[in-house]
Amino acid sequence: MKIDHSQPLEYSTHKNEMNILGFWIFLGAEIMLFATLFTSYFIYENRVGNGPSGAEIFEITPVLIETVVLLTSSFTIGLAINAMRLNRPKAMLWFLGITLILGATFLSVEIYEFVHYYHVGATLQTSAFTGILLTTLGTHGAHVTFGLFWGIAIFLQIKKHGLTPETANKSFNYSLYWHFLDVMWIFIFSFIYLKGMM
Amino acid sequence: MKELFPLKQVNGFVFSLLLTVVALSVYFMDMSFSLGMTILLVTAFIQAIVQFVLFMHAGETDDKRTIYTTLYYSALIALVTIFGSLLAMVWDM
Repeated sequence: MKIDHSQPLEYSTHKNEMNILGFWIFLGAEIMLFATLFTSYFIYENRVGNGPSGAEIFEITPVLIETVVLLTSSFTIGLAINAMRLNRPKAMLWFLGITLILGATFLSVEIYEFVHYYHVGATLQTSAFTGILLTTLGTHGAHVTFGLFWGIAIFLQIKKHGLTPETANKSFNYSLYWHFLDVMWIFIFSFIYLKGMM
Repeated sequence: MKELFPLKQVNGFVFSLLLTVVALSVYFMDMSFSLGMTILLVTAFIQAIVQFVLFMHAGETDDKRTIYTTLYYSALIALVTIFGSLLAMVWDM
C-alpha cells in the first residue's frame, strides 16, 4: 500500500481515492432516488381523498427543531473531519459524538411527528397524499437511522485503531453521507413542509 | 482550540441558518404562491451548494472534475424527472 503524504489521510492511497469517488457516484444515485420520491409527492400532493391535507397536519415547531438539529449536526460532522485532518482524534471523536446525539434527537422528533400523524388519522393507507408523504419522510428517516448505526461503528473503530488511512477514509465517506442527508432534508423542509403550510 | 473551528465552516453554518430564516419567511409572512416558491427554490439550492462545496469539499481534490460531473448529471436527471412529470401530469401541458 503506497501512501501519498501530500494528500489528506483519507485520500492517501489509490484505494482510498477510489472509495471516495465511488461514494460520490453512490450519492448521485441517491439524488435520483429522492428525485423520484419528490416527483410522486408533487403529483399526489393534492389527492387527499377523505384524509387530511398537508396544511391540516403539519406542525411548524417539530419541523423547525428537526431542521436546526440536522443543520447543526451537519456542521459538527464537518468540524469532525477538520479535526481529523489536523490529526486530533480526540477532538474528532467529540464532534462525531455530538453529531450522533443530534442525529438521535432528530430521529426522536421525527418519531414523535409520525405518532402525531397516526393520531390525526394520516396513515400510509389514508390517501395518495399521506402515503407518499410518509414514504418520502420515511425514506429519509431510514437513511438517518442507518447513518446513526454507521456513525457508532466508525466511532468505535477510531477509538480502537486511531486515525489510519482506512478509518480516515471511512470517516470521510460517512461525513459525505451525513451532509447529503442534510441537503435532502432542506428540500423536504422547503418543498414539503413550507410549501404545504404556505 | 481555534483551529478546531475554522472560519470557513463557521461562516457556512451561520449562512445556512440565515438561509433557513429567509425560507421561513414564506410561512410567517403573507405572500403570493409564486413569490413564496421562488424564495424556497433559491434558498434551497443555495443551501445545497453551500453543503456540497463548503462542507463536502467537492472541489478540493484531483477527482473534482469527476465529482462535479456526477453531481451535474444526477441533478439534471433529478430535475428532468421532476419537472417532466409535473409538465405531463400536473400542469396539463
